[in-house]
Amino acid sequence: MVGMMPSIPLTVLVLVGVGSPALLFAVLGGASLVNRPSPERSTGPLAAGAMTVSCVALVLAFVVYGTTATDAQLLSYGAWSTLHEGGIAIEFLVDRLSLGFAALSTAIAGVVSAFSNRYLHRESGYNRYFALLALFVTGMLLVALAGNIAVLFIGWELVGLSSALLVAFFHERPAPPANAFRVFSVYRISDAAMLSAAVLLRHSAGTGSLALLFGGSVESSAALTGANATIIAVLLIVAVAGKSALLPFSSWLPRAMEGPTPSSAVYYGSLSIHAGCFLLLRSAPLLEHAPAARLLAGALGAATSVFAAMTTRVQTDVKSSLAYASLTQVGIIVVEIAIGWYTLAFVHLAGHASFRLLQFLSAPNVLHDLHGIEAAMGDRPVSGGSSLERLIPDRLRHRLFLIALERGFLDSILDRFFVDPFMRVARQLSRFDGWLCDAVLPAEPQAAVPGGDDQDE
Amino acid sequence: MHRSSALPEGNPADNPLAHVIDELAHLLPAQGPISIFIHHNTLHAFEHLPFEEAVEHAAERLGREPFLSESRYREKLASGRIRAKDVDALLRDELGPSATDDVAGVGPRVDLWRAVVLHGIPAATGRELSWILEETDALSRFRSDLPAQARSALAAVREADDRAGERGAVHRLWDACVAAVGRAGERPAPAADIPIRHRDHLLAVYAVDTDAWIHPTLIRFLAGYLDQGLAHWSMPARQLGIHGCFLEIYRTSVAGQCGPWARTFPRIIEEDHAAGRTALGSIAHSLAELGVGDDELADYLSAELLALRGWAGIVRQIEERPDRVPVRDLTVTLRGYLAVRLLCERAALEEAARRVSFDGPLSELRAWTGNRLPVPAPPTTIDRAWRLFHVAQLCGLDVSIVEQWSLRHVAELEAELERIDDLRRRRILHQAFERAIRHRLYDALAHHVPQSPSGPPAFQAVFCLDEREESIRRHLEEVEPACETCSTAGFFNVAMYHESVTDAHPRPLCPVAIRPDHYVGEIETDSDRLVRRSQRLHRRAAGFLGYNVHLGSRLPVRGAVLMTAFGWLALVPLVLRVVFPWLSSRLGVMHETTVGGGPTRLQVDREDAAPPIGKYAGFTVREMAGIVRRVLEDTGIRGRLSPLVLVIGHGSISLNNPHESAHDCGACGGGRGGPNARAFAQMANDARVREVLAAEGLTIDAATWFVGAQRNTCNNDVTFFDEALVPAAVWPLFERAVVALETARRREAHERCRRFDAVPRWYPPAAALAHVQGRAADLAQPRPEYGHATNAFCIIGRRTRTRGVFLDRRAFLVSYDPSRDDDGAILARILAAVVPVVAGISLEYYFSYVDPTGYGCGTKLPHNVTSLLGVMDGAQSDLRTGLPWQMVEIHEPTRLAIVVEGPRDRVSRVVRANPSIDRLVRHRWIWLACLDTDSGAVWELRSTGFVAHTPEQPLPVVVGDSAAWYQGKRGFLPPVAIVPGSAAASDERLVRVPWSG
Repeated sequence: MVGMMPSIPLTVLVLVGVGSPALLFAVLGGASLVNRPSPERSTGPLAAGAMTVSCVALVLAFVVYGTTATDAQLLSYGAWSTLHEGGIAIEFLVDRLSLGFAALSTAIAGVVSAFSNRYLHRESGYNRYFALLALFVTGMLLVALAGNIAVLFIGWELVGLSSALLVAFFHERPAPPANAFRVFSVYRISDAAMLSAAVLLRHSAGTGSLALLFGGSVESSAALTGANATIIAVLLIVAVAGKSALLPFSSWLPRAMEGPTPSSAVYYGSLSIHAGCFLLLRSAPLLEHAPAARLLAGALGAATSVFAAMTTRVQTDVKSSLAYASLTQVGIIVVEIAIGWYTLAFVHLAGHASFRLLQFLSAPNVLHDLHGIEAAMGDRPVSGGSSLERLIPDRLRHRLFLIALERGFLDSILDRFFVDPFMRVARQLSRFDGWLCDAVLPAEPQAAVPGGDDQDE
Repeated sequence: MHRSSALPEGNPADNPLAHVIDELAHLLPAQGPISIFIHHNTLHAFEHLPFEEAVEHAAERLGREPFLSESRYREKLASGRIRAKDVDALLRDELGPSATDDVAGVGPRVDLWRAVVLHGIPAATGRELSWILEETDALSRFRSDLPAQARSALAAVREADDRAGERGAVHRLWDACVAAVGRAGERPAPAADIPIRHRDHLLAVYAVDTDAWIHPTLIRFLAGYLDQGLAHWSMPARQLGIHGCFLEIYRTSVAGQCGPWARTFPRIIEEDHAAGRTALGSIAHSLAELGVGDDELADYLSAELLALRGWAGIVRQIEERPDRVPVRDLTVTLRGYLAVRLLCERAALEEAARRVSFDGPLSELRAWTGNRLPVPAPPTTIDRAWRLFHVAQLCGLDVSIVEQWSLRHVAELEAELERIDDLRRRRILHQAFERAIRHRLYDALAHHVPQSPSGPPAFQAVFCLDEREESIRRHLEEVEPACETCSTAGFFNVAMYHESVTDAHPRPLCPVAIRPDHYVGEIETDSDRLVRRSQRLHRRAAGFLGYNVHLGSRLPVRGAVLMTAFGWLALVPLVLRVVFPWLSSRLGVMHETTVGGGPTRLQVDREDAAPPIGKYAGFTVREMAGIVRRVLEDTGIRGRLSPLVLVIGHGSISLNNPHESAHDCGACGGGRGGPNARAFAQMANDARVREVLAAEGLTIDAATWFVGAQRNTCNNDVTFFDEALVPAAVWPLFERAVVALETARRREAHERCRRFDAVPRWYPPAAALAHVQGRAADLAQPRPEYGHATNAFCIIGRRTRTRGVFLDRRAFLVSYDPSRDDDGAILARILAAVVPVVAGISLEYYFSYVDPTGYGCGTKLPHNVTSLLGVMDGAQSDLRTGLPWQMVEIHEPTRLAIVVEGPRDRVSRVVRANPSIDRLVRHRWIWLACLDTDSGAVWELRSTGFVAHTPEQPLPVVVGDSAAWYQGKRGFLPPVAIVPGSAAASDERLVRVPWSG
C-alpha cells in the first residue's frame, strides 16, 4: 500500500534536495536576465554550495527513508493549478528506487560541478554553463522523484532543453548549434511520445498520478490492461528510445559530444543517457501488463547493444568510442529490465554511470593512459580485432567495417525516411498555405514561398 | 587484381602533378603526432619573406589573422604597454623623407599617419554604419579620444560645454564631408573575388556547401586509416595505401548510403577501381572530369588541400617521417588523400548540380555559375564620407577647409587612407608594441652591473636554457649565493634513443633536426633478482589489468560484468582526483616509491650487440669525451669546475592534457631531459673519459663529481639520479646543494603561482608547492602549467651579465663565454643548436596567440583525442593544430629578441655563415642584438646594420629577494635588479620603484 502520510523530515529533505539546484538556476539565470551576471568567483562557490546541499539532503533522505519506511510514499507540495480536475500538483513519489537514483544523480552532479569549476575557469560561458547544469540537475531530480505525470514531463523537458543548449555551448563554431538542433529534434519525438503516453494514461486510468502506476497497485492494473497498457507502454518505449539513444535514434549520441568535456560526461556518459532506463525501471509494473511492449523493449535493447558494440570497435576518436560503448551497456540494461531483473538493472545502471563518468572525464588523458599501459606491459597490446572478425570472409568483413565506420548509416536513413518526407509535407503545407492566403486575400502581395530550399535541419 | 596506389608508379618525380603537390604541401600545418610535440614556426613555408609581409601574405592565403585585432592594440595603448613615442619613431623610419609632404592640404603626411594610427577610424559600412549614424552620438559629438592639437583646433568652432553648438559643428562637418565625396564622383567597385573551386561557386551562388557534405565521411575514413591504436578493430586493407584502401572498403553499393549526397558515389568509385588507376592517375582523371586546366592546377589543388588542412597536414607529416608513428605498415601519401578527396567531391558535386538543376558535365559547372556570381558594389557616398569625417576630426580640420576640397583632394586623401588601412595600422602598432618590450630588456642589460659569487663557487648547476629555468636559477642563487648556475641546450649534447626500464619503446631524446645514431637503455643492476622479478610482475599485472578495464569497458558482456560488479568503485579515484588532487598526487608518489624499481643504471658504454634502433648501442669513450668537452666549453665552465656539478634536465607530467608533451624539453624533441642529464653525469664521472680529456688538455679535477637530475616543471619535483654513487668526500656538499634546491623549488613554485588566476594575489609561500603539485595531479585542470607562455627574449652570454636581474621567466638563457672564443667556433655551434629551437617556440606562441582558433587549436574544453595523433573540436572537425588557448592566454605575442654577448663583427660573421639563421635574422623573424663585452652597450641589428641602443630608463633596484618584487602582482613585471638586503646597504643605486606592469 502507498503510505499517504509523509514523515516530516523526509518531506523537507526532498524539498531541499530538489529545491537547491532549482534555486541555483534561478539565481544565476535571474542575475544574467537583469544584466548583472554573477562573476566567476561567486558563481563557483554558489554552485558548489547548492550541489553539496542537494547531495547531502538526498543522501540523508535515502538513509531516513531506508530506516523508517518501506512503502512508496507520495509527498505532496500543493498544487500549481486547480483549474480542472487533477490540475498540476507538485508531487514526489519516494521509494528506494527513486531516492537511490536521485541520490546518485546529485552525487555525480556534485563531482562534475567540482570538476567544471576548475575546468571552465576563465571561460566566457562559465556562468551559462553552471546555470544549465543546475537546470539539468533540477530536471533529473524531477524525473527521478516525479509523483505525477506532469512533474515527470517537466523534468523530462528540462533535461532535454539543457542538454541541447549545452551541446550548442560553443555556438561561435557552426557545428555545435547544427548538432544541437539534431539532438533537439530527436528529443522532440521522444517528448511527443511521452506527452501522448501521459494523455492516454490520464484518459484511461483517470489519474496522472504515478503512484498508482509505478506503485504497481491492484487498482492500476485493473484500469490498465490489454490494449491500453500496451499502447502506453509502447509510447513510453519510444520516449525512452529517443532519450537513451536506442535504435533507430542512436545517431544523435556522438553528435552530442560538442560541449565541454564535463557536460558530455554527465549527460551522455552518466545521467541523461540513463534517464530512459530509469523511466523503464519505474514503469516496470506497467510493462508487466504489456508483454508485447516488453518484448519490443527487449528487442530494441538487444539490437542497440549489438549495433553499438560493433560500432564502438572501429571509432577512432575517444569521445565517439565512449559514446557507443555507453550505448552498448544501456542496451543491455534495457534488456535486463525487459527480462525483469530490476535490481540487477539498477546496480548495473549505477555502476555504469559512475564508471563511464570517470572514463569521460579523463577522456583527454587517453594518450597518457595508453602510454602507461604500454609501458607496464612492455609492449603495445595487439589490436586489430578479435578472432570473431577474422572468421568472416574479406569482402563481407570490409562491408561490415564500412557500416560500423559510418555508424550504421543511421543519419542518412533517418534523413531519407523521416526528415525528408516530413520536410516535403511541411513544404507542401506551406505552399498550400500560401495558395490559400492568396486565394482568400488576393489584394495582399504575398512573398514567394522558397521552393528549392533543401535545408534539412 | 587492382593495381594498388602504394606500388611505385613509374617515376613519380617526373610527373608534373606530383611536383605540384609536393610544392603545395608546404602550405599545410607541419605538426606531427601530438604525443611528440615539437614547437615549430607555424609559417615555416613563408620564411623566405620578411616577417610582416609574410604574416600578411599568409593571412590572406590561409584565411588567418596576421596580428592582433586593432582594438586589442588600442587597449594596450590605453594601458601604456604601447607607447606613442615608439609609434613616432617607427613612422619616422617608415616614411623617411616623404614624412613632411603635404597630403591634400590636411597637413604633413606624418601627422596624418600618426593621428590615424594612434586613434584609428572605426571600420563600419553599409547597414552597420547607418545604425551608428542613426542610433549613436557619432553625428552629435566629436570623438572623445581626439589628439590634443585637434581638440584645440576644434574647440575654436565650438564653445565649451555647448551641446547644441557641438552638435551643429559636427553636423556641418559631416555634411561637408558628404558633399566633398559627392563632388569627387564615383569610385570603381572593388575587384570581385573569383572563387576557385566548384564548391566555392556553389556556396557563393546557391549557399550549397558540398564540403559540409563530404567532410564527415572523409574525416571518418582518414581517422580510421591513420589510427595508431585507439580503435580496437583497425581498418582492414591499410597496406594498400590511402587510395587503394579507400577503393577496397567503399567499393560497394552500401557506400551510396554515406549521405544524401552519395547517390552516384558507388558508381564513381567502381569506375575508378575498374580503370585500375594509381592515386596520381585518379587525381588527373578527377581533375579532367572537373574541367581544371593546367594553368589553374596549383591554385585549385591548394584550395583543395587547405579545405581540410589539419588532416592533410598530418598525412604529409607521416608521409615524411613514418618513424614518428608506432603503426608501421601504413603507406601514407598526400596524393592518396587528394585522390580520395576528389572522388568524394565529384559525387557531392554531381548531387549538388542536380539540386540546382544544372544538367551539363561538371567541367562546365563553373562557367554556368560564373554569370550568377554576386557582383560587389562600389563604396557608397556615406561609407566614403565616414572615413573623411574621421580624418577631419583627428586632424582638427575646420569645416571651411573640408568645404573647399576638390576632386583631387578627396582622391589624394582616399589614396592615402588606403595606405594606412586597418592592416597597416595593426602592423605599426604591433611593431611599436614589440619595440617597447625589447627596449626595456636592452635598458636592463646595459645598466646591469655584472655579478658573480665572491669566491670560487661552492658548487655549480647546469640547467637547460629553457626560459622556465630562469626563475629556479635565480632562486637558487638567492638561496645559495656561493653557487654558480649556467645553461646549455637541455639534451646536454647527448643525442640518443633512450628506453627506460618502464618504457615500451625507445624514443629519441635530442633536437628534432638530429636523428640519433646511439641507443642507450636503462638496465636494472644486479641487486636482488627476486625482488626485481616480483616488481616486474607487479607492473605487468597492473598494466594487464589497466588494459582489460580499458578494453572491457567497451565490450558488451565483459563490460556488463565489470560495470555491475565494480562500476561504483570508479567513484573513489574520481572523487580523489577531482576533489582532492593534491592528496592523490602524494598517493601517486607513495605508490611509485613502493613499486618503482630498484637501482638501475644507464648502459652508456658501447656494446657490440645490435641496438633496437639507431646504429650503435652506447657510446665509445672518445665519443663521450667529445660530448663532455663540448658542454664544458659551451657553458664556459671548463677549467674552473667546483667539486660538485649538478646537471639538471627537465620535463613535465600532467593529467588530462593531450598537449602534455608540448611542456617537455624542446631540446629533447618534446621528451624529458632527465636521462640525458644522467648520461652526461655518468660520462663526465668516468675515469677513462677524464683521462682522454686530460690528454687533450682539459683536466677535470679528481675531486669533482657530477650528479644528474630531472626537474618536473609542472609539479616542481626534483629527482636526483645515482645518488648512491656520490663519493663520501662530496656528500656534505651534495647535501647542502640538495637543501638549497629544495628551498629554491618551493620559492619558484610560489613565483609561478602569481600568474595563476585561481590563486589569491597574496599567497603564502608555504602553500605554493602543494598548489602546483595539486595542479599536476588534477583531472579537472586545463592549465597544469603555463609552459613557454610569456617567452620573449634569449640571452646568450655569461651568467654574470644577467645574475641578479629579475627576468620574469621570459628569457631563454644560454651560457657562453665570449672571452674564450676568438674565432667564433663555439658561438657558431651554440647558435646552430639553440636558435631553431627557441625561434620555433617563440613563433608558435606568437601565431597561436594572435589567431587562437586559426593558427592555434582554440579552447581545450571540447577537444577530442583522435587516432592518438591529435585533437578535434567536439564530435568531429578538422584536426586542430597549434597550441590551445589555455596554454597561451597569458602570452604577449612578440618576436624573440636574441641578445648575444660579444663583439659585433664576430656575431654578424657567425650569423652570416649559417644560412637558416641568417634568413630568420635578415627577415626579422627574430631580433638580434649584441651586448658589448667591455662597454656593456647594446647594439641592435637593423636592415642598415648594427645600431647603438640609447638607454631610455634606468634599471630599478629592489632590495631583498625575488618575492619582494613579484609578491602580490599578477601581470607582466619589467626587469629589475634584485639586491640582497645586506648588499643593499652599500649600494648607491638604490631606487624604490612603483610597479607599472
